[in-house]
Amino acid sequence: MGVLAYVAKRFGLYLAVLFIGLTITFMLPRFMPINPVDGYIGQIQSRANGTLTPEAIAEMRVNLEVLYGLKGDIFTQYLSYLKRVVIDFDFGPSFTYYPTEVSTMIVTALPWTLGLLLTATVIAWLLGNMVGLVAGYFHKHKAASILEFVGILLYPIPYYILAVSVLLILAYIFPIFPLSPTFPVGEMTWAKVGMIIYNSLLPAITLVLAGFGWNILSMKALAVATTEEPYVTYARLKGASNWTRMTRYVFRNALLPQVTALALSLGMIFNGALLTEIIFSYPGIGLIMRTAATGGDYNVLYGAITLSILAVATAGLVIDLIYPLLDPRIRTK
Amino acid sequence: MIRLNDLKISYRIGGRTIDAVDGVTLTIPDNCVVGIAGESGSGKSTLMKAIYGDIQSPMYLSRGSIEYGLKGTDGKAVTAENVRKEWFKTISYIPQSSMNSLNPVIRIREQFVDFPGTDSNKKRVLERARAYIGKLGLPPEAMDSYPHQLSGGMRQRMMIALATFFQPELIIADEPTTALDVVVQKDILMLLMELQEEMGNTILVVSHDMGVHYQVTQKMLIMYAGRVVEYGDTDSVFADPQHAYTKMLIDSLPTIGDDSMRGVMASEAGGGGDRAFRVEPNLIEVKPGHFVAQPARQREGVLA
Repeated sequence: MGVLAYVAKRFGLYLAVLFIGLTITFMLPRFMPINPVDGYIGQIQSRANGTLTPEAIAEMRVNLEVLYGLKGDIFTQYLSYLKRVVIDFDFGPSFTYYPTEVSTMIVTALPWTLGLLLTATVIAWLLGNMVGLVAGYFHKHKAASILEFVGILLYPIPYYILAVSVLLILAYIFPIFPLSPTFPVGEMTWAKVGMIIYNSLLPAITLVLAGFGWNILSMKALAVATTEEPYVTYARLKGASNWTRMTRYVFRNALLPQVTALALSLGMIFNGALLTEIIFSYPGIGLIMRTAATGGDYNVLYGAITLSILAVATAGLVIDLIYPLLDPRIRTK
Repeated sequence: MIRLNDLKISYRIGGRTIDAVDGVTLTIPDNCVVGIAGESGSGKSTLMKAIYGDIQSPMYLSRGSIEYGLKGTDGKAVTAENVRKEWFKTISYIPQSSMNSLNPVIRIREQFVDFPGTDSNKKRVLERARAYIGKLGLPPEAMDSYPHQLSGGMRQRMMIALATFFQPELIIADEPTTALDVVVQKDILMLLMELQEEMGNTILVVSHDMGVHYQVTQKMLIMYAGRVVEYGDTDSVFADPQHAYTKMLIDSLPTIGDDSMRGVMASEAGGGGDRAFRVEPNLIEVKPGHFVAQPARQREGVLA
C-alpha cells in the first residue's frame, strides 16, 4: 500500500470518528428530559415575578430557539448544528457570560491549557521514559531499583493530594511560588512571558510529577521484557556496546507502546486540565468547563466536549501517521 | 587449537549450586567442523557459552581453564579474560533463533555496523558487506531491508553473513538450522561448510539432528548429563560407537515418539539420567582420535 493511500485511509477514518462523535454529542442532550429553553424562560420569569405576557414568552422562545439552534425538526437541527460546528466553529453564545461567544471563550482559554498541559505531559513522558529505560535495562543492578522506587512512590498518589501537597510546600511553607497566580493580560512582552512561566511552574511541576511515575513504571516493564529478546542477546554477543543496545535495541522497541500512551494522554489533556486549573486557579479550558457545568451552560459544555472529541481523534490520527515511521512492520503491510 | 582443561561450569541459583558441565577435558583441532550432540540439559549449550566467553552470573567457571590457541586482532593471544573483545572478530556466533535475532525496527545494514568488528570505517564495511552477501546467495538489496521482509532462510543466511564477514578463526553455531524447513536446512549447512573450507577455520555445530552431524562434521562430541561420553572422528563414531548413549542416539535416528530418555537434569552432572549412561569424566582413547568415557563407578550410599 502506498504512503498516500495509507494517509488517505487514516484521514478518512479520522473524519468518520469526528462525525460519529459530533453526532453523539448532538443526540445526547436531546434525550435529556430537561429543555434548556424552558429552564431559561423559567429563570427569567421568576426574576420578573411572573409579569411576562404569554406573547412575550412565545416570542422569547422563538428567539432563544433560533439563538441556540433548536428550531425546526430534529433533522433540520442536526444539519444546522453540523454546519455551525464544522464550518463556522460556532457554538452560539454562553449562557453565563452572555453575549460572549463560546468559540471566543475557548480560543482565549485554549493556549493556556495547551501551553501548560502539553508541555508538562511531554516533559513527564520524556523524563519518565529515560528513567524507566535505565531502570529497566539495568534491572539486575541494585542501583536501578532506586530509580524504579521513584516511580512506585509517585504513581499511586492521587493527583489532588499531590497537587495540594506541592502547593502547600512550595507556596505556603516555603513561599517560592505564588499561592494564587496572577497572569498579565494584553500585549506579550518578554517580561510577561517570564512572569507567565514563573506562575505556571507550580502546576507544571505537579503535572510532571504525576505523569512521571506512570511513565517510569511502564517503560521499566517494557524495557525489562525487551532486554530478554533474542535480538538484544544477539547484539550483546556481537559485541555491541551497552549504549547501542540500550538505545537502538531496547529503547527503539520498547518505545512503540509508549508512543501510543503519549498520544492517548495528549488526547486526554482536557480531563487533566479540570483539576489542575481548579486547584491552581489557572485560566484554561478546565476552569471554563467547571463554571459551565455548575451553571448549566450547555453551549459552553458543547464546545468543550467537541474540543475533547477533536483532541482525542486528532491524537489517534497522529499515532496512526507516526507509527509507521517507528515500526517498519506496519509500513509494508 | 582449543584446549579445555578439566572444565567445570556451574550455576548459582537461589543459594543452590548446579553443575551443568563437569570435568570436560578435550582438544579441538584447527580447521575442523566439530558436531556437539546431546539432549536438552546435557550441558552442551553451557559448554558453548563458556567457549564463547559468555560467562556471566548466575553461570560461573568453578574449575579448569580454556586455552584458545588463537591470535586476536591486536596480535596478542586470545585468553579467557580478553575473549569478549574478540567477539565477531576472531570468534563469532550463529544463534539458534534466526527468526528473531535481528532487531525488527532497524535496517539490516545498520546491524552490520553497530558493533566494533575489525573495521571502524562503516562505509567501507557496508560496501564490502553488500558484495559479500551476494556471494552468500542474497540480493544486495537485502542489506537495505528490515528483518521481516526476508524469509527464514534468507535471515539465517544473513546471520551466517554477519558471523563470517570478519573472517573469524572460530564460529559457534547453536542449532543453526532448527527453525528451518528441511530443504532450506540443507542449503544453509552446505553454505556454512563451503565458507568453512574457504576460511579454514573451526566451527562448532550444536545440533539435535544426528543427520546434520553425519553430513557436515569431521569430529563428534557426545555429551550426557554434563560430561563428555564420547569424542572422535565422525566416521569412526558413526561406524563404531563405543558408548551405549552414542549407540542409542545413532540407532534412534529415525524413531519418533521415544522419549524414554527425557528428564535428565543438568543439576545432576555425572549422576543424573539413566544409570546405564553415566560416565566418569576422563576419556580413554580406544582408537587413534576416538575417545570414550568409562562407565560411572557405583557411588557409596547410592542404591543400585
